[in-house]
Amino acid sequence: MEDFEPKIITFACNWCSYAGADLAGTSRLKYPPNVKIIRVMCSGMVNPAWVLRAFRQGADGVVIAGCHPGDCHYTVGNYYAKKRYILLKELLKFVGFDDERFKLLWASASEGKLFAEEMTAFTEKIREMGRQEKLRRKIE
Amino acid sequence: MNAETLERIKEECRKLPAEISYIVGFVRKQSEPREVVAVLKPDEVDKLSFSPLSFNNPARTVMELAKDNKVAVIAKGCDARALKQLEKEEKIERENLYIIGISCPGVIDYRKFRNTVKFRLAEIDSVELIGDEVVVKAGGEEQRIPFSEVIFENCLYCEQPTPKDYDVLIGEPREGKVDFSDIEEFEKLSAEERWSYWMDVFSKCIRCHACRQVCPMCYCNECLVDPSNLAVSPMTPAEEKAAYPRVLGRTVNAADNLIYHIVRVMHHAGRCAGCGECERACPMELPLRKLERKLEKVVYEVFNYSPDEEIPFLSKLDILPEG
Ligand code: SF4
Ligand code: SF4
Ligand code: SF4
Ligand code: FES
Repeated sequence: MEDFEPKIITFACNWCSYAGADLAGTSRLKYPPNVKIIRVMCSGMVNPAWVLRAFRQGADGVVIAGCHPGDCHYTVGNYYAKKRYILLKELLKFVGFDDERFKLLWASASEGKLFAEEMTAFTEKIREMGRQEKLRRKIE
Repeated sequence: MNAETLERIKEECRKLPAEISYIVGFVRKQSEPREVVAVLKPDEVDKLSFSPLSFNNPARTVMELAKDNKVAVIAKGCDARALKQLEKEEKIERENLYIIGISCPGVIDYRKFRNTVKFRLAEIDSVELIGDEVVVKAGGEEQRIPFSEVIFENCLYCEQPTPKDYDVLIGEPREGKVDFSDIEEFEKLSAEERWSYWMDVFSKCIRCHACRQVCPMCYCNECLVDPSNLAVSPMTPAEEKAAYPRVLGRTVNAADNLIYHIVRVMHHAGRCAGCGECERACPMELPLRKLERKLEKVVYEVFNYSPDEEIPFLSKLDILPEG
């Protein structure tokens, strides 16, 4: 796998995880540039179809990051996120897609360190798994 | 599912409460032995028919009609389940329904039937289920087919053959079952085998969206799956059209089709009535219930939720696993 740089899409909720990612930045904690963050107002607004579309558009890994259970700014958005996450992951596994490429992460605004570590670990894992070929749109 | 069942249905329909304005029941299709869903006036009871080929689900028709009418409906187990779901989602008011429940032994798979029956379809006079045989009569002749040869596969896993909620019930109550053995069997295959199985299946899908169109649970006016709900006129420039938001690819290829189907079934989590209309409607004969049933299994096993609970799955938040 020469020169494989994984592309990771992270949907991060505005109130916790995005702030956490920001904190990681301001505290000069390094996490790989492979991680592209898309800020959303709440993990509960991440449509599972976006996750699938990200894979289709060539993401090697997708993360949904939100507030810890009980901490969601909109009270229960992250519970919805988790419900959908479980359903989608199970379906992906069922159809034979590597569901390991899809991850849910709880990270609060003060957990910059955790965010950086988790992103690093996930990027490394995806690097080992190699390119995501199954859903990637190919020029045919 | 024999002449006697039909007589009972007619009998019940003749003594309906006076405020009922329509009957949604089954009427035999012209020059074919099967029934289709039809809307009748209470004085048209004689047009009713019923047989193991009354496989369609009337819930969708009832939903439209029961908005401002009181409707009597002939419902098999899965039909009643769909009605119940629509009631939970406030699409139907129970007071507007009069449910004539049928305890259902299963319906016939019309594709299998056509391949098995020796008569021309237009010649067939009657199709009845007697014991475990399907008895087909045509012009004084008779053919007996073991029910197991032509049963719609979905019915083998039926959870609720007898409606839970009805005003009158026809037939002896039957036990349903929760059986996911077929799904477990499929899960034993390797990831690569599963992937090529589904790629093969969905490479055949032509994205006609019939599976969505017939589903009683797919009633949204605007569907995520449509290419775009925004107006396009001959004047709309190509760049603007290209910039319209869209979540699903418009092209018809196995991966885009797979995404369409994952999205479709995700929207049915904890809601699917298990009627199998999607699979019956598919012109490509794709095994759509398999993906749906996997989701049902997750809903049961991970969330410990049954679609028969009063609170909709979507609103239940106390059923998440730890962590
Ligand atoms: S799914 Fe159940 S209720 Fe519906 S037709 Fe089949 S056996 Fe009858
Ligand atoms: S998904 Fe299929 S089986 Fe489920 S309710 Fe819709 S049409 Fe019936
Ligand atoms: S009915 Fe069949 S061919 Fe049509 S969209 Fe559904 S799966 Fe595809
Ligand atoms: S606001 Fe952070 S998950 Fe809802």
